[in-house]
Order: sequence, then structure tokens, then C-alpha cells
Amino acid sequence: MDLLQFAIRKLISGIPLVLGVTFISFVLMVYFGPDKTYELLGKNPTAQQIEEVRHQLGYDRPFLSRYSDYLRELSTLDFGHSDSTGERVIGLLGRTIPVSLALTTPGFVLGNLLGVLLALIAAYHRGGWIDKFIMGGAVVGMSVSFLIAIVGFQLIFSSSYGLNMFPVRGWDVYSLTDYLRYITVPTMATVFVALGYNTRFYRAVIVEEMTRDHVRTARAFGTRPWKLLYKNILKNSLIPIITRIMFSIPLVIISGSLLIESYFGIPGVGKVTYDAITTGDQPVLKAVVGLTAVLFVLTLLLTDILYKMVDPRVSLK
Amino acid sequence: MSGAVEIAATTERRSRGSLWSKAVYKLSRDRFGMVGLAVVGIYLIVALGVWFGVWGQGWSDVTGPMWAAPSDEYRFGTNVIGQDIFERAIYSTKVAFEVGLVVAVLSTVIGAILGALAGYFSGTWIDEIVLWLKGVLDSIPFYLFVAALAFALQGFAYSMHVAMIATFWTTTGRLVRGEVIKLRGFEFVEAARALGVPELTIIFRHIIPNTFHILLVQATIVFVAAIKSEVILSFLGLGVKDGVSWGLMIAESTQEVLAGQFNNFIWASVFLFGLVMAFNLFSDALQDALDPRSVT
Repeated sequence: MDLLQFAIRKLISGIPLVLGVTFISFVLMVYFGPDKTYELLGKNPTAQQIEEVRHQLGYDRPFLSRYSDYLRELSTLDFGHSDSTGERVIGLLGRTIPVSLALTTPGFVLGNLLGVLLALIAAYHRGGWIDKFIMGGAVVGMSVSFLIAIVGFQLIFSSSYGLNMFPVRGWDVYSLTDYLRYITVPTMATVFVALGYNTRFYRAVIVEEMTRDHVRTARAFGTRPWKLLYKNILKNSLIPIITRIMFSIPLVIISGSLLIESYFGIPGVGKVTYDAITTGDQPVLKAVVGLTAVLFVLTLLLTDILYKMVDPRVSLK
Repeated sequence: MSGAVEIAATTERRSRGSLWSKAVYKLSRDRFGMVGLAVVGIYLIVALGVWFGVWGQGWSDVTGPMWAAPSDEYRFGTNVIGQDIFERAIYSTKVAFEVGLVVAVLSTVIGAILGALAGYFSGTWIDEIVLWLKGVLDSIPFYLFVAALAFALQGFAYSMHVAMIATFWTTTGRLVRGEVIKLRGFEFVEAARALGVPELTIIFRHIIPNTFHILLVQATIVFVAAIKSEVILSFLGLGVKDGVSWGLMIAESTQEVLAGQFNNFIWASVFLFGLVMAFNLFSDALQDALDPRSVT
């Protein structure tokens, strides 16, 4: 019951955030956004025809009523139809979000798992050459642009100038082997780019925990090093680790896959968003921005509940 | 004997020095950091040369054949329409510094001011508004924000810069806010308040200067982030509008690469990687030197 009350309070406190995001994006994207009047009109329109189309598009209505329409659309998840394809926006997202999830999840999970693992190894050998080697590699990895990694991996693994093992681009997935063939190169690029940042962050967290008194005590009592790392150090550093992972989720779903999907031509929500940006497809853009904001609020809530689960000292208030 | 006295004297002088003189000393002893700084210096000279018209002016001239091999005339070869890749890579250095410096300086200033106000007035409505603004800006997908701002500003050439400044201050703001909440309880602030110093004077003259170590490190981090974002945004067609940048060069090269022409891709990547790597090394060294609590 406490949990439910907490969840409701948290969701209510997220309302200003959703209002802020939708307001700013509405002002930028719709109010000052592309004017579609003349695209819908034929040649030499009369003043009356212009008036009609503007009315149809709702341009003549006052700002507040147009904005509250947007909020109503968001609360009912009914964003109307895409300007460019005529498909229902919610159906479009329902079709493309699973593709994005299938594409980004392996890279996201691997990037974080490998990051924690490398960070543990580096922290365990702190100051030694293994640590220096891993952290040097992390700085190099951080300095490679995502775009360069994508082009480079594509050249090495899927072009005739390299190993030519995987499809160059596209998304033609009907079975598990297809799936693995298409996600391998994008996943390698994602992991490569994320690994440097992740390893550094997790190492800093783990080293900070390592220098605490309870760890020294445990070591003095003769706890084995790997058990010490797992039980006394990793478990206690879970809070910053969870924070980092959770807060990257909403952006990984939208922004993280935008570059990958538009480069590899994968029909996920990132590609849809990119196409909507280039064609000025407002219903899609409004849906993407609004849903991201809602996702952020839900993430905030879920993160707090996870804190409570990993650390009983945290109280939900 | 006199040697020992000298050593004792220098260590004493060092331990008495301020945070800044200690930091400079520590920084100068950091080999990787100094190499990074030197490389950034070389890039800066290249960028200034372009700025003052000494070199890199022929970036848009179509002078050679398509895809010429590297030679004495075209040091890195030419691209698909016969432009000299060397000239373009050199000119792009200036564009990268423009983006990096403008975004780093302005977003740090905004982060410092808003962070300090939020921290000093923490718990009041000022703090609430700053935190709300930060949450909102962090929750808008970045690429969408850039695209929307570019449209709303009607093709203003620097809309990408504005979008980055508007979103990159949030981390600086959060760090400054935390530091100011700590500083607010210190005696020098209490003393200033007791003397009747106006609150804004306290914030700007006494508190913000004490956060300079955070601001300096954050500025270098934002500089790197801005350059890296420029590359991706330019590739997506949301970044640099006129002129050329490493991102635009890589965007061109994605077509050339499929035809087996790698010069454009390789040189743009090498220039970009060199600057980002050098700045990362310098930034790390700076962080180590300025954070007295840092554990490595």
C-alpha cells in the first residue's frame, strides 16, 4: 500500500516535467514549426481556399487550445495520422518500437555488463599495468566518434574491402539467424563506443567503495578477493550503477538508435523519428517527444523503487 | 647537507601553496596531460592560421580530378568532386574550435550562474524552477531538440550552437549547485552576509570564484562533447550549414567508402580523433590536478 501511494505521489510530481517538455517542444516544433498550408493546396489558391486549409490544419485557433489538444492527444495516446504516410501514429510506433528494442537491447546490456566487468578487473589491479592498460583503452575508446565506429565496423565486417561476413545494411529479419546477422555490426559499434565511458564510470564508483572502512575490515578478516569484490564492493555500488543504467534507457530507445537506424536503414523508431524530422511530420514528432517525457517520469519512479529493493536503508517518501 | 635543506624548503613552499599553484605543479608533472595540451596547442595554431587566412583557404575550390591519389599537390588526395582533402581537413579545424569554444564557454557560464542561484537559494522557488528546467531539457531527445530549434530559428546558421548551449549546461549546473550548497554554510559566506553584502554580490564575487575548479574541468568535457556532437549532427544534416567540417567530410565519405575511396574518411577521422583524444588526456590531467580528493 505504501508502494502504491508512493507511486501515485511520484507520478503526480512528474506532471510539471511532462508539461514542460510538451510545452517547449510544442512551441518549437508546432507553433514555430513548418507551415503545411501550401503543401496541401494546388496552384494559384484563392484566399478562401487558403483560409479553409488553415482552418482544417487548426492554424487559426488560439495557441492554448492547440496546446491543450496536444495534451489530450498524449493522455489518450491518439496522435492522429502521420502527415507523410497516412498511417495511424500509434500503430506506426507500435510497429517500430519493438524493432528498436530488438536492435538496441543486446548492445546496451553487453556494453554495461562488459563495462562493469572491465571496471572490476581494473579496480582489482588498481595501479598495476592491467589497470593502466584497461583505462588507457577506455580513453582511446571514448575518443572515437560514434559515426567513425559505425563506418569503420561496417567497412571491416560487411564490405568487400573487409571480411564481408554480414549484410551491409537493412533489416530483413524472419528468423533468429537473420536477426543475429543484422544486429552484429550495429551492436559491435554501440558496445565499442559505450564501453570506454561505462568502464571509467564504473571503475570510479567501485574504487570509491573499495577505499571504505568496511572493505578494509572484511579484507583483514581474510575474505577472499573475488568474494570481497562481489559481496562487499559491487553490492554497495549498485545505487550509482542503477542510476546510470536507468537514466540512459529513455534516451537509448529514441536518440541512441537514431544514428544507427538511419545509417543502416533499419525501420525502428529512430528511423521514423529521423524521417519525421526531415519531412516535418508533426504528429509523429509530437508523439515521440511526448512519450519520451512520460517514459522519463516512469523511469524516475522505477529507479526509486529499485533503490529500495537493492538497499533496505532507502525509504520511499 | 645544503641539498637536504633545499629539498625541505621546496617541499615546504609547495605544501603552503594555494590550490591553483599546487594544481599547476601537479598538472605539469602529468606526462599524458602535457602531451595532450601540446597537441591541442598545435590544433589551435592550425585553427588560428585558418582564422587569419594563412592557410586552408582553398577548401571549396574544385582544383583536381575526382579521387586523385595523395601526391605533392594534393597531400591527402581529393574527394569525389575534386576538392583537396588536406585543405578541407585544415579548414575544419577552425570550425571544430568555433563549435567547441563557443559551446564550452557559454554553456559553462549559464551552468555556473543557474547552478549557483539554485544552490544558494536551495529549497526556494528559484531552485525549483532551475531543477525543473534542467529536468525538462534533459528529457527532450537531443536530436529532436536540435532539429526543432533549427526550424524555429529559421535557418539561423548557429542554431546548432544554440541548441548545444541550451542543453549542455545542465551537468555543470548540477555540479555547481551541489558545491554551492556546501559553500553556503562556510564562515566566509556567513561573514559576508553579516557585513551586509548584497546576496548577488556574495554569489558572484565570493561563491562562484570558489567553483572555478569545477567549471574549468566541465568546460573541457563540454568542449569534447560539442565537437563529437557536431560530427553526428552534421552527418544527419542538422549541423554545420555552410562551410565544411569533419562531420560533413565523413558524411560525404560514407558514399565514397562504398566505392573503395578511403582518403576523405580516414583523414577526417584522424583529425577528429587526434583533437578529441588530446583534449580527453588534458581534461583527465586537469581533473586529477584540481580535485584534491580524487582517488585513482
